[in-house]
Amino acid sequence: MAISTTLLNELSGRRQTALAAGGEDKLKARAEKGLMNARERLVALFQPNTFMEWGMHADHDCHDFGLEGKSFPGDGVVTGVGYVDGRPMAAFSHDFTVGGGALGRIHSKKICDLMDYAMKAGMPVLGINDSGGARIQEGDESLSGYGQVFFRNVLASGVIPQISIIAGPCAGGAAYSPALTDFIIMTKKNANMFICGPDVIKAATGETVTMEQIGSAAAHASVSGNIHFVAEDDRHALEIARKLFSFLPSNNIMDPPHRPTPSLDLSPDPGMNDLVPADGKTPFDIHAVIQRLVDGGDFLEVQMDWAKNLVVGFARIQGIVCGIVANQPMVKAGTLDIDSSDKGARFIRFCNVFNIPVVTLVDIPGFMPGMAQERGGIIRHGAKMLFAYASCTVPKLTVILRKAYGGAYLAMCSADMRADVVYAWPTAEIAVMGAEGAVKVLYKKEIAAAKDPKAKEAEYVAEYRAKFASPYAAARKGMITDIIEPSQTRANLAMALRNTLSKRETRPPKKHGNIPL
Amino acid sequence: MKKLRVTIEGKAYEVLVEFLDQETTATAPTPAAAPSAPRPAASVTPAAAVPAPVAPPPAAPKAGAGAVVSPLAGKLVSIDVKVGQSVQEGAQVATIEAMKMNTYIYAPKSGRVVEVLANPGDAVEEGAALMRLE
Repeated sequence: MAISTTLLNELSGRRQTALAAGGEDKLKARAEKGLMNARERLVALFQPNTFMEWGMHADHDCHDFGLEGKSFPGDGVVTGVGYVDGRPMAAFSHDFTVGGGALGRIHSKKICDLMDYAMKAGMPVLGINDSGGARIQEGDESLSGYGQVFFRNVLASGVIPQISIIAGPCAGGAAYSPALTDFIIMTKKNANMFICGPDVIKAATGETVTMEQIGSAAAHASVSGNIHFVAEDDRHALEIARKLFSFLPSNNIMDPPHRPTPSLDLSPDPGMNDLVPADGKTPFDIHAVIQRLVDGGDFLEVQMDWAKNLVVGFARIQGIVCGIVANQPMVKAGTLDIDSSDKGARFIRFCNVFNIPVVTLVDIPGFMPGMAQERGGIIRHGAKMLFAYASCTVPKLTVILRKAYGGAYLAMCSADMRADVVYAWPTAEIAVMGAEGAVKVLYKKEIAAAKDPKAKEAEYVAEYRAKFASPYAAARKGMITDIIEPSQTRANLAMALRNTLSKRETRPPKKHGNIPL
Repeated sequence: MKKLRVTIEGKAYEVLVEFLDQETTATAPTPAAAPSAPRPAASVTPAAAVPAPVAPPPAAPKAGAGAVVSPLAGKLVSIDVKVGQSVQEGAQVATIEAMKMNTYIYAPKSGRVVEVLANPGDAVEEGAALMRLE
């Protein structure tokens, strides 16, 4: 006895139909444009032969507007589970060759079922977006379909990592699903993302804009800050997604994939001493410091083209995964402004929910002054950094490289924000403000009354500097764990990261805090 | 100092105008229309991310084609090139001190310096043109 060949042939035939997607012509046209099709993307994402497709036989159930009698293989989306570097990942991929990859009820159900499964099993979800948007013929079913996906995006937020790739159009409401996920990777060509396109903007307000200006990867990476990574093409986008996942746990109750070195190397790195400019006014590229600090110089920078005065990203230090948050003195003097505060706070909160220790490198002269900043709400935005650090319970390690002035220093994880260790280089200056500003307040009368106010002011500045332009005043009061040579930074951080992996910190129970948004 | 009221799109703003050059106390320069609508997408102008609130920008030289603009407000420490000099894209062309830190300004494109628009010691505003490249 064996299973009937008729049944096997039927299955095989139906599979062929599903795999043919929107038909040979459409698949060929895409290939000619250099675009991968929906299934190819998933197969390329996963380890060979590990992609298990779900819902291949799904089809739409719309009976209106000429769709009755028409078939949409897989209903325009390919979903399933596979393995990435030995760990499972759930993924869906819009199929643009099937009804423009538009979202209808069954299409949405496939994505939702996948997300429910991923949440239960504790694996990340990757979504590859390449869709014409809502399937108009399905009307409110299609609208509700988006709502179902959005709700699950929120439910899954902080439970499993969610990564989006924008590899085609992603317009209107559809853009909000990626926006609710943790990271967005966008391809340079063929992809655009916007709420209202140029035509709608023109009709509504008369403003003339181009797609390049509002919806391109370049615009979102450098101006709007909506996306996190720019990819050259489909394959590069998948490569970035895999690289990103190599730093992330599968879910919020697992540790990230640490690869602790068998023995801790505590030898100094003299090259780090050479990086520090003798003059405090000379900027230096914080990337150079990060390169020396992390294993193999392997640093995955997040949002590298936006709010460049703050550098954030993932790395390992002697095998321990950490998130790095660092001021960049080369850009806007390393100040925190509206955008860099938003960027930093979101990154810190991601690290916190996924058990990734945060290493903070401080060289900050203050919050960015200016009319645009004040009127744009730097108070509210800067508060996000304070909120993010204070509410974060993962290991928090801070290194003060040079300036640590005022409230902006507190917003870079000072001891008061319950940093677990705070190291300072001998070049560190911890003060409520810079010397010039401080003496104008402290000695206003004395300077005004002096015969030579300029000379008197300089005298006070020198005095203030001598007192506070070093880390020793703060160290004396116990605000610093230790003062270390730059060459010791990697060794000390490696040791501290290992020590604090078992950190436990409980907070008063509550639904959630009320971060200033 | 002169106090002026400027009305933009029906909203009145009070502004203080300082005449840096008393010789030419003509009329205060008309503020350039505040947030110039669409910004170039791939622009690396750091200010691009925050739409400037409606407020008359100070009397800074208007940035035009080929202008090298200051990414932030501060004191011009030095112009690191000379008129007539050819510079490569990415070459350091000026230094600005702001927030106790020097910020180096790099050429946004290769070209010849045709005009220098600010002097060392000047207070420059964000977006102010420092020089023009051809």
